[in-house]
Amino acid sequence: MNIRDVDPGAASAPAATAGPSPAVAAVGVTKRFAGGVVANDRVSFEARRGEVHALLGENGAGKTTLCNILTGLYRPDEGEIQIGGKPVRLHSPREAQVAGIFMVHQHLSLVESLTVAENVVLGWSRHRGFGFAARQVEAEIAEIASRFHMDVDPRAKIWQLSLGERQRVDILKALYRGASILILDEPTTVLTPAETEQLFSSVRELVAGGGTVVFISHKLPEVLAIAQRVTILRKGHSITTVDVAATDARQLARLMVGHEMSFEVTPRATEAASEAAAPPAVLELDHVTAHGNFGTEAVKDVVLTVHAGEIVGIAGVAGNGQRELAEVVAGLRPFSHGSIRYAGERVAPGDPRAVIDRRVAYIPEDRMGTGVSPDLSVSENLLLKSYRRGAPHTGPILLMRQANAQAVQLMERFDIRAPGPQTLVRQLSGGNVQKVVLARELSSQPGVVVAASPTRGLDVGATEYVHRVLVDAAARGAGVLLISEDLDEIIELADRIAVLYEGRVVGVVEASHATYEQLGLMMAGAGTAAGTAAGAAT
Amino acid sequence: MNSSIAVAIAVSAIAYGTPLVLAGLGELLTERSGVLNLGVEGMMLMGAVTAFYTSQTLHGPGSAVLVVAVVAAGLAGAVMSLIHAFLAITVRVNQIVSGLALTIFAGVIGLSSYVGQIWNIGGQHGLHQLSKIDLLGLSGLPVVGPIVFNQDAFVYFSWILVVVVSYYLFRTRIGLYLRAVGESPRSADAMGINVTTYRYVHTIIGGALAGFGGAYFTLAIAPIWTDGLTAGAGWIAIALVIFAFWRPDLLLVGAYLFGALSSLGFTLQANGVQLPSEFFSALPYVMTVVVLAGASTTLARRRIGTPAALGVPYVREEG
Amino acid sequence: MIAIERSLDTPRWQRIALPVVSLVIAAIIAGIVLVLSGHNPISTYQQIYAASFTSPGALTSTFVYATPLLFTGLAVAIAFRMRVWNIGGEGQLYAGAVAASGVGLALGSWPQPLLIVMMMLGGVAAGALWALIPGLLRAYLRTNEILTSLMLNYVAGFGMYFLIYDSDSFWRDLTTATARVFPTGKTLLPAATWPGFVFGSFTLPFGFVAGVVLALFLLALFRLTRFGFEMRVMGDSPSAANYAGMRTRRTIVAVMALSGALAGFGGASQIGDFGHVLDPRGLEQAQYGYTGIVVAALALYNPLAVVIVAILIGALTNAGFALEGPSFPAGLVGTMEGIILFSVLGGEFLGRYRIRIGRTPQRAPIVGDDSGSLTVDS
Repeated sequence: MNIRDVDPGAASAPAATAGPSPAVAAVGVTKRFAGGVVANDRVSFEARRGEVHALLGENGAGKTTLCNILTGLYRPDEGEIQIGGKPVRLHSPREAQVAGIFMVHQHLSLVESLTVAENVVLGWSRHRGFGFAARQVEAEIAEIASRFHMDVDPRAKIWQLSLGERQRVDILKALYRGASILILDEPTTVLTPAETEQLFSSVRELVAGGGTVVFISHKLPEVLAIAQRVTILRKGHSITTVDVAATDARQLARLMVGHEMSFEVTPRATEAASEAAAPPAVLELDHVTAHGNFGTEAVKDVVLTVHAGEIVGIAGVAGNGQRELAEVVAGLRPFSHGSIRYAGERVAPGDPRAVIDRRVAYIPEDRMGTGVSPDLSVSENLLLKSYRRGAPHTGPILLMRQANAQAVQLMERFDIRAPGPQTLVRQLSGGNVQKVVLARELSSQPGVVVAASPTRGLDVGATEYVHRVLVDAAARGAGVLLISEDLDEIIELADRIAVLYEGRVVGVVEASHATYEQLGLMMAGAGTAAGTAAGAAT
Repeated sequence: MNSSIAVAIAVSAIAYGTPLVLAGLGELLTERSGVLNLGVEGMMLMGAVTAFYTSQTLHGPGSAVLVVAVVAAGLAGAVMSLIHAFLAITVRVNQIVSGLALTIFAGVIGLSSYVGQIWNIGGQHGLHQLSKIDLLGLSGLPVVGPIVFNQDAFVYFSWILVVVVSYYLFRTRIGLYLRAVGESPRSADAMGINVTTYRYVHTIIGGALAGFGGAYFTLAIAPIWTDGLTAGAGWIAIALVIFAFWRPDLLLVGAYLFGALSSLGFTLQANGVQLPSEFFSALPYVMTVVVLAGASTTLARRRIGTPAALGVPYVREEG
Repeated sequence: MIAIERSLDTPRWQRIALPVVSLVIAAIIAGIVLVLSGHNPISTYQQIYAASFTSPGALTSTFVYATPLLFTGLAVAIAFRMRVWNIGGEGQLYAGAVAASGVGLALGSWPQPLLIVMMMLGGVAAGALWALIPGLLRAYLRTNEILTSLMLNYVAGFGMYFLIYDSDSFWRDLTTATARVFPTGKTLLPAATWPGFVFGSFTLPFGFVAGVVLALFLLALFRLTRFGFEMRVMGDSPSAANYAGMRTRRTIVAVMALSGALAGFGGASQIGDFGHVLDPRGLEQAQYGYTGIVVAALALYNPLAVVIVAILIGALTNAGFALEGPSFPAGLVGTMEGIILFSVLGGEFLGRYRIRIGRTPQRAPIVGDDSGSLTVDS
């Protein structure tokens, strides 16, 4: 794959028969962060030349951290990195690139107004001298692109390209600089099926020429389709490495999700609501489709109902449309098809004010950026949704004294620790900021609560508090939609669990009947609720 | 229209436009790196007063004195721009405010006037002035002669500079990196380009060129120094950069156009067209607003070429 | 290892002390400049103080310069607070002056109180309308308002010039032979003169009092009204504003219009309080609009502080003109203003950051995809 070394006519023999020659390896790598977080705990894996090696795991498994170490962004606290069998110390991404390791991130950093050729050459050029020989560079890029089955026009401007095409540009950048080891971090998140096929074709061509591709993913179908071997990571540990040919989706899912101990899930103790008449639906999504930030469909044909008094959990690996779904329900993102009813009433897409009027509480994922206005006080933030109606305002005037008094009451009720209602929110700890959000959203007795990653970044005490508040809200008759990347949290709180994969709801299961294995399979794209139910034929 | 009137308009447009081209190119480069510098008027005045003082005090052959005077003017402009650069790039203050602070600091009621008084050059008659060069002996040609072949060194320098800057921006690697810095500093940084360095260097170049532009006033246009001599040329240069959509070739055209339009108004009136000269003077600015408004879709905005990161301080996210 | 990191928690005393310290440093630096150029700093400062405040008529003159700066400063303070970069105060002031003088001339026979009110309204309306152009373009077409408001300053200037210097318009005085040759504007009748508040030898312009009232009104607007609340949220966190269902575009337009109205009022005050004639050249040289930006910045965009800073800068400007002469350094005013500004801006740096020595523990990256939440126009 390294342009200078590789003979394009090399046979694409599988690496195994030629005798394994390691390309890159991590040996006992440990990485700790502030706050006691151990992202990688004695992780080991080894990718060979001519191989597509997958790193499989859920959120928080440590995949991205590991790759950041491989590409020189972080330094390991323990263990070492080996390239070609020899230990190396990488102090910067530059050094990793010199060694031939390149990573293609999910967030493509391209300059939109420049052409493909200009972006590829940015910061590094094969040719010395002042001039930027556009024609020559374009020809070189065209040659590489065609060799690896990539459909790209070197003279196109980036803003004209789709996400899939932009990803190709990023890959081209790596190839142009002589990459021999290419790390792809969840590359298919932004691709259409056709683009995914083209990507796989390019990847196969790359390894056929002797290069190595490390393919990070949480999606089982892809891993099974493209990789030769797969290393499973779970909660910072490397579990094992298996040959793809010798395994199947079920085994991989089991390894990915773990919990050998208990197959059954302990559901939340609910009141005997089954005897009473079926509670009314407070939130109904009917074939809702919405687009993400880059024009692709992030939410596809979702059908979901939340009833009063129940907690519905949305499980899934990050990046499968959860955030967009939350935004759609909160009215912050318009949807293009389908309808949403709140307590039976439809609301036009993308109208946050109307949604607020329908008594919907939204606890956003981005708490500091969207959930609060950091330079305003606690009491002002508590007013954020209610300032238009009711006390403490008369006409256009806001009566802050009244607002402050109310704030004090809310602070007590929701255990917000701060010197006073005038304290600026940005001086509060993460847990207290979330309590401000909860206080604001839940004090008005909402009918629907949408909570997106509500306990992310919070300590144990704050997390428990949030859980209690959500359960309490449901007990009072609200319907709660809990979107979280933490499967344990969902299992602990939800009555029903829907799994989101690539924007679709691939299954809805009763929490009392769900198993970790089943959920893991669905989250990894390996089945629907029916196909993965415990007891179904393997 | 009488050809001699046309020639007269062209020649005066060039005289009017040359300091604008110089200062404009400087501001163009600065803005291409993502920094907005509204202090151009102040920098030009510092260049003008420094050039005049140098040419009055230095003894020696005329051309040598002029060269040193121009260099001094460039240095003065560069030093001024350094203040803005530090505040805008390192301290990351609001660039509008720091640029205006520079204009006030160095401008008509500021430093340029201050040093003008200290150096006691007000009221003096300029000893050295740029003289017109008879290029290739062709100044006698009809129409083209006086316009193209009978200009002073600054004018020719400004033409060469337009070509050089164009080439620099669009044909060299460094120019490419510069454009990346102005468009998407985060991407440029990720590719190993030092955003801070590029911004500093190009802001200082902008200051030096503004200094040159100011020098033209005291060394060519009028052999005197008074407070506020440039009379707003710096502000026009800023508008010009926007009007030219950050392209050097359009900048040259625009600078001469602005000049021609002011004299055009009178000429048309003399020929019976009843439109006031202010209408013509205002036209380029109105047109700029219309085009900016028309470029409302992101698509069109790409084509227009406003450096996307203009005026926004760059902070590298710590990992 | 030494790192400079953002400090979230600046104690209150520090936030007030910092500008004061910056001012002191500025005075010292300017003092050094004076010494280097052969002037005595102490006596120079004394002269400035006298020319600004204590000599006969000084205080009145100071307020002549302070009044327009108060208006343009307020105009910028509310706009910049909301991150709407209105630098069109210059043109909006011109528009207000044109409108107020037009109204004053046309309605000259009306009873004085009514006439003055009409002039104020005219100035306010003209300034607001002129600001609506960049405001609407920004709100609905997302056009960069820095560029558009700047361009419109030039257009307004040319418009003003046209009325007096290049046409026989209503504003132009054509009654005397001199006026026909050297274009000037028509002088307004005494009835159109805005009343000043006389305290002995000192006259406080009506416009200044109006400006202070407006500053208080703005303060009330910020703190007490829903509109002010929305403004503050939008200026602080556009995504939170969107989340709360606020109508961002309408608010941007309203703020631009309000900003333009304030600048326009300043223009009306130029006609009503001082001058009583439309003087394009004078207005253009004064650069009240651009100076207002600087005043607002020094006042940290707080309306009451704008009042104080306007007086200070007005005092400095007044001193500069009053003391102009061979013994007093010309250009000292601008130089000092510049040094003060640089000092305060640079001082802000120290206030926002603190220096940490030693190893900063690496913070774990937040897991999850954050390829940019819903982008809201800021």
